[in-house]
Order: sequence, then structure tokens, then C-alpha cells
Amino acid sequence: MNILFLILILPFVCGAIMFVMPLKFKLLQNLHIFLSIIVSALLLCAVREVIQGVELSAFHHFIFLDSLGAIFLSLIAITGLLVNIYATTYMKWELEDGHITLSEVKNYFALSFIFTWTMSLSVVCNNIAFMWAAIEATTLASVFLVSVKKDKNSTESGYKYIVLCSIGLAFALYATILLYSAANGKIEGEAMLYTNLLANATSLDPMALKLVFIFALIGFGTKAGLAPTHTWLPDVHAEGPAPTSALLSGVLLKCAMLGLIRYYAIVANGAGFDFVQNVMIISGTLTLFISSFFLIRQHNVKRMFAYHSIAHMGVIAFGLGVGGAIGLFAALFHCAAHSFTKALAFCSTGNIAKIYGTKDMTKMGGMIHIAPLTAVLFGIAICSLVGVPGFAIFVSEFLIFKAAAIDGSYLLMGIFALALAIIFIADFSHFFLATFGKVEGKVVHNDEMKFSENIPLIALAILIVAFGVWQFDSFTLLLNESVKSIMKQ
Amino acid sequence: MTHLIDIITVLMMGTSLAVFGLRKYKLSIAAYALQTSLLVIVFLLLHVKYGAHELLIWAFTAFVMKVVFVPLFLLKLVNKLGVINEDEPVGGFFISPVVALSFSLAVSMMFYKVFIHFSIFKDALPLFAASFIFMIGIFGFILRNSFLKQILAYCLFENGIHLSLALMAYNSHELVEIGILTDAIFAVVIMGILAKRFYASYESLDTSKAINLRG
Repeated sequence: MNILFLILILPFVCGAIMFVMPLKFKLLQNLHIFLSIIVSALLLCAVREVIQGVELSAFHHFIFLDSLGAIFLSLIAITGLLVNIYATTYMKWELEDGHITLSEVKNYFALSFIFTWTMSLSVVCNNIAFMWAAIEATTLASVFLVSVKKDKNSTESGYKYIVLCSIGLAFALYATILLYSAANGKIEGEAMLYTNLLANATSLDPMALKLVFIFALIGFGTKAGLAPTHTWLPDVHAEGPAPTSALLSGVLLKCAMLGLIRYYAIVANGAGFDFVQNVMIISGTLTLFISSFFLIRQHNVKRMFAYHSIAHMGVIAFGLGVGGAIGLFAALFHCAAHSFTKALAFCSTGNIAKIYGTKDMTKMGGMIHIAPLTAVLFGIAICSLVGVPGFAIFVSEFLIFKAAAIDGSYLLMGIFALALAIIFIADFSHFFLATFGKVEGKVVHNDEMKFSENIPLIALAILIVAFGVWQFDSFTLLLNESVKSIMKQ
Repeated sequence: MTHLIDIITVLMMGTSLAVFGLRKYKLSIAAYALQTSLLVIVFLLLHVKYGAHELLIWAFTAFVMKVVFVPLFLLKLVNKLGVINEDEPVGGFFISPVVALSFSLAVSMMFYKVFIHFSIFKDALPLFAASFIFMIGIFGFILRNSFLKQILAYCLFENGIHLSLALMAYNSHELVEIGILTDAIFAVVIMGILAKRFYASYESLDTSKAINLRG
């Protein structure tokens, strides 16, 4: 059986199984972990086949898996698995504290598989309209992962999430229709397949492609959290449970970015790289500065990380804007680096909220004495987020500087350095506030979490350091192949 | 045939204004059902004109899901919540439609000239109508405060997109239409559930009250 066919059904079946399970927490917890491992193993098997050079496609090329898709599928598999494992611990705490019912926990576990299914679908779609439908479906599948509770804040975040993302993505659908209309009859084969559009990009009307890219940027940019249509993101990331925020920031934003990258590739090859690079530089710069401005003012730890997500989407956009082989490599690497880092960051906020009973960093302090391992994990996330050498994000940010330097774009280097400096100062001041000094508020849980509860976070921290100091050949191969496919070399 | 499509799409523009502007929820939902029926007729006319069997499937699925299911679902929601009139929109009941109408006309004047350049269907009026309905939907989100009116606004811009799809890409794979329609239906259902929760939390459907998460 084609592995892509399995990807299309297995996560959905897992979600359905979870829905019909009896309300026994231990059973739900173990089954959730077991099924998450099975799904992730399947996704990684597909990625391995791509690394080995196998061309995966099914249903007359309606779905496929290329090296670009394989990068993002591996993020769904790895980050998704670790966050799902952590989710079982987090939900146990929520259940013990009476914040949530067992029925809501079951629905949460079931929906997280449906969410994984929609994200995987968005990555393997070759048909651009179906890719849009899958990305829209990710919003629908994750609304009740965000809005788990039925209180005011939870409902408000769910409302903002579905409304703003749906409006934004409507523009992406218009981009899809326009692209199809511009290509239909002018290229050989089905005009809705990404592979055909990319192969025949030079036959397409450059003016049409430029309009398509603007629409796609508004649409997928909204979902990816690019300014100025990022406003849903801080509310949703800050209000949802920690594992949901980790999944949204670590994986979902990247799936939307993949949609944009696919349009970037088609338009760049049809209308020229200069156009898409200029647009992405403007978008990236705007996103970086708006997010860093708001970042300084945040005292809610989850809201701070939410603005970080926006900032790092800005970094990816900036990398695509700087362009060239190195710039594109850096942007794609940043997707992975940010995925691991932000998953760790949001999961550590789960621990922090457990300790202090609040997300307000001004009421924290002394975490290093109360929960040293959590403090170290939180520190690793912060160090990676601000681009400290030795951590994953440093690699991509350094490569963006390198790409700009090779291109002689010193102004871009200056802009990028300034934005990163603001983020650096804001982050470390917040980190010191929460971690060192005296406890400013009350401590609800005056102890470190159990080691077994911290295992997914430790695994994420190891990945962040490993990607910061080591070059993984198979991953580098995927990145290089993806850059070649975007640049059609 | 082309004139008939022109007339129907102009009627669709009129119904989109009715969906946007009518204060009573039930009338607004009825206007939406009428608009979607007109959309189904456009699909059928285009099917006759171009012989594209995909449009026949679209017409059938759109009838079942959008003419029957969505209005019934929304009516049930209105009855359950016991709401009759919508909350005061941004700028008031008179200014709000005027702003939406004028801006939607202006934006559509710009869009349709671009669309006609690429479209398979080369008649200007339906393409203009498609962008107009889409924009009225977008302004519905911006200007109407009622959660239910925003769900209807979503339905409106979704109709605008479907009309564009039928005019500009009717020969695309039928699965594409089904995928997009399925998303739309799920979105309406999920928004409906959230609207119920919203009403339970705020005792109103006025979304301008949702200001707890700013900053």
C-alpha cells in the first residue's frame, strides 16, 4: 500500500478511536502516547523514503511528497510527538486541578489527531486548491484545541482565531483561483498541480503571478502570523493550553508558511526572484519590528512567546527575502529550529504555570531554586530564541547574515541586527525576572516536576542543541534538494 | 444565456446587501438562502453553456449544503438563542451598509478588470458581482458586531468565492469544490457552536464586548 495513502487515513482513524474510548484517564493517556508514536513513525517512514530518493505520489499526482514537504512532515512527526506526550502530563494536571473534565480531555486527545491529519494533508497536497482546503481545515480542527474551556477568555480566543484566519485564508483561495485561471490552457497537464505550475512557471503571465503572490501573502501570511494580519496570534497562543500553543507555534504556522513558500517558488520562477524577494523583505521587516515592539511590553509569559512566534515568522520571511541559495536554506532551517525551540518554550510555560499558578512574569522569580530543571529548559528555549551560538536558531540567523553579506546588502544586515538586538534585550530582561531574584508572588507548586514528566522537554532541548552544533546529513540533504527545487537548478 | 447569467448575478448582489443590511436574523438568513439558490442556478446555466459536468455536481452539493443545511442550521441557532434583531453595528444601521456598499463597489471595479483578463468566462458583470459579494462579506466581518451576522458574512464571501470559482475555474477537479465546500460547512457549524458559547458567556452576540484579551 502506498505510504501516502496511509498518511491520509491513519491519523484520522486514530482520532476516531480516541473519540469512542471510555472515560478512563490512564487508558486515554497511554493510548494517546501509543497512537502518537505510531502516527509519527509512519510520517518519518515517508520522510525516509524521500531521503532515499523515492518519488512519492498517489491519486494521479493529486498528493505527493517532495523534499520540501518532507521537511515539514518531519516537524509534524517529531515536534508533534513530543508535544503530544507532554500533553498527557499537562492534561493530568488540569484534571487534578479541576480546570477541565475527563470528557474534555478525551475530546482534546482525539482532536489533536484530527489536527495532525489536517496538517499532514496540507503538506502532501500537490493540488493547490486542496492544499488551501487542508490549511483551512487545520484552523477548523484546532479551534476546540484552543477553546477547550467554556469561559469568556477561551471563547473569545476561539472566536478571534476562526474569524480572522478564515477571512485571511479567503484571500489565499482567491490567489489559488487566479493562479489556476492564469495557467489553465497555457501549460501542459493539470493547471492546479503545484509540480506542473512550477515546471511551467515561465509560461505564465508575470503580472498575473505578481497579483497571485500578493493575495497568497495576505492569505497564508495571516495564518502564518505575518504582520499586519498577525493580530489573532497573541490572543490564541496565550489563551490556549500550553501543548496547543506549542503545536500551533511549532508546527501549524510552518504549514501555512509552506503554502506561502510553494507560491513563492512558482511566482519567483515565473515573474522573477527580485519581485518576491522585495515583497518578503518588506513583510519580514514589518513583522520583525512590530513584534519586537510588542515583545518588550509583555509580562505574560505565553503572550511573550506568542509575539516571539510572530518575530520568528518575520525571520523566515526575511530569509526568503534575502534569497539566494543560502537565504532559502536559512529560511527552511529556521522553520525546523523554531519548531523545536517554540515547542520547548510553550511546554515550559506549562511547567511554570503549574509552579506559580499564573502566567504573569512579574509575579514569579526564584525559579532556579524552586524548579532548577524547568529553569534550565526555559533558559535553553530563551537562549535559542535570541540566537545564542550553540543553539539551533543561531545557525539560521547567522546564515541569513551571511546570505545578505554575500549579496552586499549591508542595509538589510543592519535592519536585521537591530530587530534581533531589541528581541535579545527584551527576552533576557524577562528571563531574569522569572528565573532569578526573589519570588514576587505566591508559589502554588513548590517543587520540580517529575523527571518522567520532563522527558519530552529534555528531548526538545537536546534537539535544539544538536541542531545548533551538529550537521545532520539527511536533513541537510532535504534542505539542499528543497532549495534546488525552489530555484529550479 | 449570458444575459440570464448577468441578471441572476445582479440579483445575487442585491441579496448580498439584504443579508448584510436586514436587522431581523430570520429575514437575513432567508435572503442568504435565496442568494445561494441563485448561485445554484448560475452553476446549472454554466453547465448548460459549457457542458462541464463538474458544475452539475457543484450545483447539487451546493443545493444540499448551502440552500438547505446552512439556513436550517442558522435558523435553529436563532430559535435556540431566542434572538430576533441584531446588535448595533459599527457606525449604526444606516451608515454601515452605505460604507460597505461604496467600498465594495470601488474595490470590485478594480478587481473585475483583473479577473476578466484571466477568466475563462469573459462576461464582465458576473465577475464584478463575484468580487462585490466577496467584499460585502469581508465588510460584514468588519462592520457588523453581531456574531450571527459575522457567520452570515462568512457565508457571503464564501458565495463570492464559489461564484468566482465557477466563472474562472469551472473545469477544475470536482474534489476541489467538495473540499472547499466541506471546509465552509464545518466552519459554519463550528462558528455556530462558538456563537452559542459566546451568548452563554456574554448574554449577547455583540462581539465588540470581547475585549478581555487585548494588549
